[in-house]
Amino acid sequence: MNELLLQGLVNGIVVGLIYALIGVSLNVIFGVLRVVNFAHGEFIVLGAYAAYFAQAWLGLSPLLAMPLVFVIFGAMGYGLYFVLVQRLSRSNDPEHASLLVMFGLSLVLGALMLLAFEADARSLNFTLDPPFLMFGNIILPTTKLLGLVVAILVTGALAFFLYRTMPGKALRAIIMNRDAIQIVGVDLNRLSALTFGLGLGLAGITGILVSMIFPSFSPFIGQDYTLIGFIVIVLGGLGHPIGAVAGGILFGLAEQTAMVFFSGTVAMLLGFVLLIAVILLRPAGLFGVQNSR
Amino acid sequence: MTDEVKEVRDGEVVPAPASQGNIEKSNHIRSLIWGAVVAVIIAVFLPAPLFASNLSFLFYMMLWLTMAMSFNFVAGMAGYMPFGYVAFYGVGAYAMGVLYKTFGMPIPIALAGSAAAGILVGLLVAPTLRLKGVYFGIVSLALAMAMKLVISLMPRDITGGSLGLILSSANDPLAAYYAMFLVMMGALAAGTWLSMSRLGTALRAIRDDSEAAEVVGVNVVATRLKAWIMATMFPALVGGVEAWYTNAIDLDSSFNLLVTAKSIVYAMAGGLGFLVGPIVGASALYGIDQLIWRNFPTLNLLILGVVIIALMLLLPRGIVGAFAQRFSRFRRFIP
Amino acid sequence: MLKVDQLVKKFGGMTALGGVSLTLPDQSILGLLGMNGSGKTTMLNCINGLYEATSGEITLDGVSLIGKSPHAVFSEGVGRTFQVPRVFHQMSLLENLSVALLNKGLSNAEVAEISAHWLNKVELYRLRHNYAEELSGGQQKLLELARIMVANPKLVLLDEPFAGVNPGLALLLIRIIREMPKEVGCSVLLVSHDLTSVYELSDNILVMHEGKVLAEGSAEVIQSNPDVIEAYLGA
Repeated sequence: MNELLLQGLVNGIVVGLIYALIGVSLNVIFGVLRVVNFAHGEFIVLGAYAAYFAQAWLGLSPLLAMPLVFVIFGAMGYGLYFVLVQRLSRSNDPEHASLLVMFGLSLVLGALMLLAFEADARSLNFTLDPPFLMFGNIILPTTKLLGLVVAILVTGALAFFLYRTMPGKALRAIIMNRDAIQIVGVDLNRLSALTFGLGLGLAGITGILVSMIFPSFSPFIGQDYTLIGFIVIVLGGLGHPIGAVAGGILFGLAEQTAMVFFSGTVAMLLGFVLLIAVILLRPAGLFGVQNSR
Repeated sequence: MTDEVKEVRDGEVVPAPASQGNIEKSNHIRSLIWGAVVAVIIAVFLPAPLFASNLSFLFYMMLWLTMAMSFNFVAGMAGYMPFGYVAFYGVGAYAMGVLYKTFGMPIPIALAGSAAAGILVGLLVAPTLRLKGVYFGIVSLALAMAMKLVISLMPRDITGGSLGLILSSANDPLAAYYAMFLVMMGALAAGTWLSMSRLGTALRAIRDDSEAAEVVGVNVVATRLKAWIMATMFPALVGGVEAWYTNAIDLDSSFNLLVTAKSIVYAMAGGLGFLVGPIVGASALYGIDQLIWRNFPTLNLLILGVVIIALMLLLPRGIVGAFAQRFSRFRRFIP
Repeated sequence: MLKVDQLVKKFGGMTALGGVSLTLPDQSILGLLGMNGSGKTTMLNCINGLYEATSGEITLDGVSLIGKSPHAVFSEGVGRTFQVPRVFHQMSLLENLSVALLNKGLSNAEVAEISAHWLNKVELYRLRHNYAEELSGGQQKLLELARIMVANPKLVLLDEPFAGVNPGLALLLIRIIREMPKEVGCSVLLVSHDLTSVYELSDNILVMHEGKVLAEGSAEVIQSNPDVIEAYLGA
């Protein structure tokens, strides 16, 4: 029993870090652009397919595909910003408008993937040698371990970028106070486009990690990831980059330990209960600044 | 008093305010237009089963009209975007199915149970009404998913598990058609009352700026709750009647996010905040949607997505909203 | 009569108001001067219930306003405007005014008449059917003022009424504010940066500095107060 629980906890951290990554990229996009990226999950699934085809056609291992996917998805985000997002800021209610546009995009992407890749679930043919590591009685597939390391590295790199570099600090300044843009004196449009690119690039990498860690993926599951991402950022605080990491790990741990004792459905439900509890107790999320103005 | 006042501005002589005369007149015209719209709806749907060969087309048209109208109660009038709107529809369908099939209640009582279930769920999630903006939308979506999970965890012999419920003994499409007609008339009546009443004025003020509304004496919490309850009852009834019409209930179709999506798209395409908006939107798009569905079933979702994006980017205020913005002189005549 | 007694408002560790007292007699205008962050807007927010005061007492004609929500404070006869005007953008001007009259138990005809009177007064009557979003910033301020005046308030809180208003409209605004106490019988708490108009309109002036009252008195007294000159006017 104890080993099972321990196994659940380890899984929780691995899965939680993936969730954290989803939440962080959603939060960076929301914080800077005030855009709620409803299509995030579809981009993640697209990233998983990218890893699949990079391996099938180019013979690239998922790790090598990562920088490539990051650049391609980043460029896609940069372009999409000018096509879809930019004009939303003129809307009466930009946040809701963005939510709806991104919802439309999510439907489009899901349908396109269905047309292109068909409905079958696919899985990445990727194993390492040795396939498992044993820690006492805890079994850890090496791919998961690798995924964990990569997720930590990516989150760490992102944290370094946001807290230690000038462009990152500028981004955080804007997240905290949109008027700061005038003080910082940067081109808001370019920065927003880059942020959207960064968010989608991260979604692509997350997708590759998903393909390594979860058994399979299909065109339909995008919305599940979006929903998880939403739960994570509401838990951690909307627009709060580091809050999302805590929210993701918390949600991953709750889900995976519940999975040990109950069914997957109960585990998912527990996530929602957690969400509702947090909202009722701290409406701005665990790390969000409570409404002060 | 003010009747003698003449003000001169930009060289133009403005007639003294004829106190209520003009306002009464524009209200009158607006009511007439709205009355005509309602009359057309009745004239189309009431006798239709006598002539129409395709009852299903008209049934679902009424369904979407009702869904879009009641979505407008919260989105257009109270300023909330409940992305989990489908939850009420699904709960209504299941309440109807469980009461009828599992507990053997007559259909009218089962349908009343649908409405009650919708209101109950609405009250349960009422604490989330204090969340602002997109926060509310996201949480509402999560709650809808949670609701689906809760029902899936209920005992199989009550809700039918993953197979759902089959209500074959209830098969009576014509009766279900007229039940939907009554629900739609109820939504029309509720909409009429909302927009003409002071509650409607308060709601629109809240939608535009809730804090400013509070500061000029509107009890924001109580007002929003009233609209919310109204907006939760109708989709639950619609879900119940649809279950009756199709005789089948299952988790995936009862809690399909597309139900929310279409309600939003139809309401927004017409124009949120206008009584006629959802009617115009649903009438215009439903036919197109059916054509696409029939001719390109695989492209349906793709096209729906493209329509949403195009609407938001090109016509963010919908057909009626764009008209009102363009011809502001006529705005006061639009119900 | 408005009485504020030892009002304290803290945000976390920061003290925005450190024990402010003031008295505003009926039918008079009190000007509130002070730099950004001196606590003027916080004071208004505490009076009309947007903020909950940390301690202290606020009474209007003997009725305590502490702990009341903004809509309840409004029913007690307190109206306020905002620094950046907050009108109901997608409602006509007439509808904007009718919102403030929703709970007054008036007939539609009475609502229409009162609204027409005040729209005429702020010279917006000819735009009565336009959406509020079509007004200029200055006109929105006038609309906001009319929106609280229709409710026949006892006390009016004006937050920077002249900010962003062109000179022509500002003159109209000054004229209306000056006439309000006599015409409607209300008192006015006027927060402004605009020294000239505050000196011109106010019966009494209070200067705030870092959450405290620095000086109080007539325009002449304030202008010659050395503390005020040092902390505020001299800079």
